[in-house]
Amino acid sequence: MIATTKSRKRKQPWSLWTERRVPSEYEAVTYKFHNHFRNEPAPFELSEDWAINVFYKTNREQSALVAAVEDWEGYRDTRAYTYRRYVEDQKDREVYCDNLIDEFESRNHYAGLAPAWLDFIGDYYLPVRFPGHGAQMSSVYIGQMAPSAFVTNTFYFQMANEMRRVQRQAYLAQVMAMDTGRPELADSDRTRATWTGGETWQGLRELVEKQLCAYDFGEAFASRQLVLRPIFDHLFNTEFARIADANGDGLLAMLHDDFRTYDEVYAVENTEGFVRYAVDRGEGNDALLRDLTARWLPLGEKAARGIAEGFARAPGADSAEAIVGRTLEAQRALVAGCGL
Amino acid sequence: MPKLQRHDYYDTARDMNWSFTYVPEEEAFPDALSKSFGIENEKWWGWDEPYKLTYREYVHNQAGKDAGIYSIRSTIARSNMYDKLDEGWKSAVKAHYGAIPVPEYLASIGEARMARFGRAAAWRNMASFGTLDECRHGQAQIYFPYCLTDKDPQMDWAHKTVHTNEWAAIAARSLFDDMFTANDAVSTAIQLTFTFETGFTNLQFLGMSADALHVGDIEFGALISSIQTDEARHSQQGEPTLKILVENGREKEAQKLVDQMFWRSWRIFGLLTGFSMDYYTPLEHRTMSFKEFMTEWIVRQFVDQFKDLGMDLPWYWEEHFLPELDWYHHAQHLGVWFWRPTVWWNPDAGVSPDERDWLEAKYPGWNDRFGKYWDVITENVRAGRIDKTYPETLPMVCNCCQLPVTGTAVGKKPFTTMHNGRKLTFCSEVCQWVWESQPERYDTHLSVVDRFLAGHIQPPNLEGALQYMGITPEVAGNDADNYAWAHQMRQAAE
Repeated sequence: MIATTKSRKRKQPWSLWTERRVPSEYEAVTYKFHNHFRNEPAPFELSEDWAINVFYKTNREQSALVAAVEDWEGYRDTRAYTYRRYVEDQKDREVYCDNLIDEFESRNHYAGLAPAWLDFIGDYYLPVRFPGHGAQMSSVYIGQMAPSAFVTNTFYFQMANEMRRVQRQAYLAQVMAMDTGRPELADSDRTRATWTGGETWQGLRELVEKQLCAYDFGEAFASRQLVLRPIFDHLFNTEFARIADANGDGLLAMLHDDFRTYDEVYAVENTEGFVRYAVDRGEGNDALLRDLTARWLPLGEKAARGIAEGFARAPGADSAEAIVGRTLEAQRALVAGCGL
Repeated sequence: MPKLQRHDYYDTARDMNWSFTYVPEEEAFPDALSKSFGIENEKWWGWDEPYKLTYREYVHNQAGKDAGIYSIRSTIARSNMYDKLDEGWKSAVKAHYGAIPVPEYLASIGEARMARFGRAAAWRNMASFGTLDECRHGQAQIYFPYCLTDKDPQMDWAHKTVHTNEWAAIAARSLFDDMFTANDAVSTAIQLTFTFETGFTNLQFLGMSADALHVGDIEFGALISSIQTDEARHSQQGEPTLKILVENGREKEAQKLVDQMFWRSWRIFGLLTGFSMDYYTPLEHRTMSFKEFMTEWIVRQFVDQFKDLGMDLPWYWEEHFLPELDWYHHAQHLGVWFWRPTVWWNPDAGVSPDERDWLEAKYPGWNDRFGKYWDVITENVRAGRIDKTYPETLPMVCNCCQLPVTGTAVGKKPFTTMHNGRKLTFCSEVCQWVWESQPERYDTHLSVVDRFLAGHIQPPNLEGALQYMGITPEVAGNDADNYAWAHQMRQAAE
């Protein structure tokens, strides 16, 4: 019955679609959704002088990185995510995390953690949900300023992935507080005070706050994707996971393994893909991205040094120097992987 | 299942607020994008969303919802259901698709603005879900007309409309950019989520969904009612934002934001939902008149919501808004039908004898007010003078709502004013008030008529205007029923 209604006729694509081939579903629901980009006389259908029109013209249209590229509709998410495919994939990841937590909880995991480890994570790990939330804000900023929906959506999904990690961290803070009789672990005021006053966190906080004020699209991208994110993710998804494992906290280690294997890889792939696209199609973008990275790196190093000093205080951890060295190497490897 | 329930750890997952010290607060939350209305940073931290949700619940729920609507889509794609739908209903659906899916995606930018520049972490989290929701609404809604481009070239305008200078596209962009794409975070929470999404999207989505199921358009009905479940959640960002404004003595500012955007939303949805319900939906499938829907979904619910939160009704409620429920959409419908080559759908006149009886019953006095114009049109159609039923010029357009100026009587003059040496035209006292209450948003913007007069549209005639609007011959609207209604009038007369 179905066969009789099937047509061999080529699907009629959107009239604005210019390629000869028929777009994929992903392309059909993403292509040319930012009608406001480079719209004249102003991005939005309001006065040209309206503050947000001026803001977009200054920080998006006139951002050197954006201006150098003629066509931004050719970028493709490395996973070709539509919303539907993103939530399907992440639902599976969340089921995995639930099962993982369930498995550890059924073995009364938290009660078996060493007091020294609990002291350590209270001071040097749990405040991470504050910069994690900052990374969420930063990602959604880049998303709203991006020159095409193909770019925007990858940052929406990265934003959501940051929230995913923060919420698991909050869950663990709370459950550990309850199961180990240490309410301070889930005391947000105490955690906030550590984040805003704890010596080892201040480099990262300075980077997060300043990065959130990098409004030029190119600078926002470079400071986040080439400096902040690789350093932050390496420290927590790799270095901290290793320390957690060595301290008998297999649950935290495995959760971060999951964030590293899926969400971090997504961020890495789309950073590499984006940089290649921007550099291949935009003269001067390689030098520009290198300069921006170099300009932000000192703050990144300072952040890495602080966090590493905290990590080095964990039982059995490497020296801060070794952690900083590996972190900066990971950042360099990412930049090199982008061909910069 | 993990041992803690959402409520056990929710507060820990949403209190990531802190005072920035490495940069000035006004640099991290600039007024243009964030707008605190002078309320200190820490006063926002108590922002408390009524609808609580975690990421794990979100992806679980949303994956299920999408599986549901896409399975309906794939079943219906194999049927000829679309071909069997009433032509007027198809026009309502096409008008919806041109005006809604891409703007919904653009609402993700408004949500993203709140997710970055909102003043509390709890709010930013809710707006992060809202950002994803609007991405869903753009993608899911546009995929449906995309599947129909082979059957109907007007479906292409689901994608194309926002890229054009078609008059309704300009009006829709003007509204939506003002409301969310180019609005600050706090105003977006009040204007998009509180004013628009708790009222007008109910009207378009629940009202149209009810009609869709009656008409037999299961696909459209299922799609938009699924979307409405997200709207019902993320629209709840308005209330806690409003509470903080009110608690800190900013009622007047909040009231102004509501008054401005309620009116602007009414203008567009009076037109879009108005003609869809009262003229395009087949008579036998109409569940309620547009006025009845407005009374139920907007007037009653909005009034309740306002009073609960200690707000006043907009100043123009009794004098301007309520009386317009009897005429505004009828006048716009007449105009849209007359200027039908300028739209991407086929307007359904909707004035057969039975339909006119229904209109008169639902809107006593309709015959005297509007029927007489349709009598002239009907006479011309029956006499074969179709050319007389087409326009030769452009209508006057309001500099605020960007819609044609209409009124209750022919010859009524529009409202005009001078601003920086430029003459501005308004359709109503309220549109003039909206514009004058924030000229910085509007003052150099040109309406389609201003552009015509400034020579942007060449040649300066209807043909040039159609070209400027991006309307091509295979898309230009025509009467949905090929004038069958006019011939029914003859039969009725005989």
